Amino acid sequence: MSHDDEIDLVARQLRSALPPWDDLEPRVDLWPRMLERLQHQPAPFGWFESALAALILLALAFFPELVPMILYHL
Amino acid sequence: MKSHPRLRAYMAGILLPTWFLLLILAALLLTPATHPLRAGAERAIVFPMAVVPNLWGVWNLLYLAPGLRRRIPIGAFGALLPLVLVPAGMALASALDLGFYTARQGVVMLPIGMALYYLAWKYAVAYFNRVVEVG
Repeated sequence: MSHDDEIDLVARQLRSALPPWDDLEPRVDLWPRMLERLQHQPAPFGWFESALAALILLALAFFPELVPMILYHL
Repeated sequence: MKSHPRLRAYMAGILLPTWFLLLILAALLLTPATHPLRAGAERAIVFPMAVVPNLWGVWNLLYLAPGLRRRIPIGAFGALLPLVLVPAGMALASALDLGFYTARQGVVMLPIGMALYYLAWKYAVAYFNRVVEVG
């Protein structure tokens, strides 16, 4: 048995040992989801959010008695 | 990750208050036993331990409702949660006779809570939702 025959034999035996794969393609197109994730930009911390954070800190600085209540609701 | 989107949304919702609770508990344990904050703390902790995280989870679950995500941003939706939580917290505080805040203080605290929740939901919960692929 030549070297090529041996390779053919092994290839045939391997093919017969593995079950056939019927659906090689994924059921849905995954690329749009991948693209969506790649293009997603995290929400920016803009002027409105900065103002809101500053107002929260100011309010808690002026009314420290509200701190336990805030903690109670978090 | 396609299965159980409601469970994933619920778990993403409860994550932040659950972490925060650990900080509160640690702070309470480090507070001297004679401190006024410790008085009734074991009764007061029921609300942030049982009610708050579950409501966050359910609120995030509600956000999965068809059409809601397109109509209202997650930060604004989260900012509405104190409208439910604050009256519930006041009712429980009254039922447990905690008496550490009045209805007037609750009303004053409401906009601060809403602002805080807006930021928490816009950045933290939205991030967790993206991680578990429900956002």
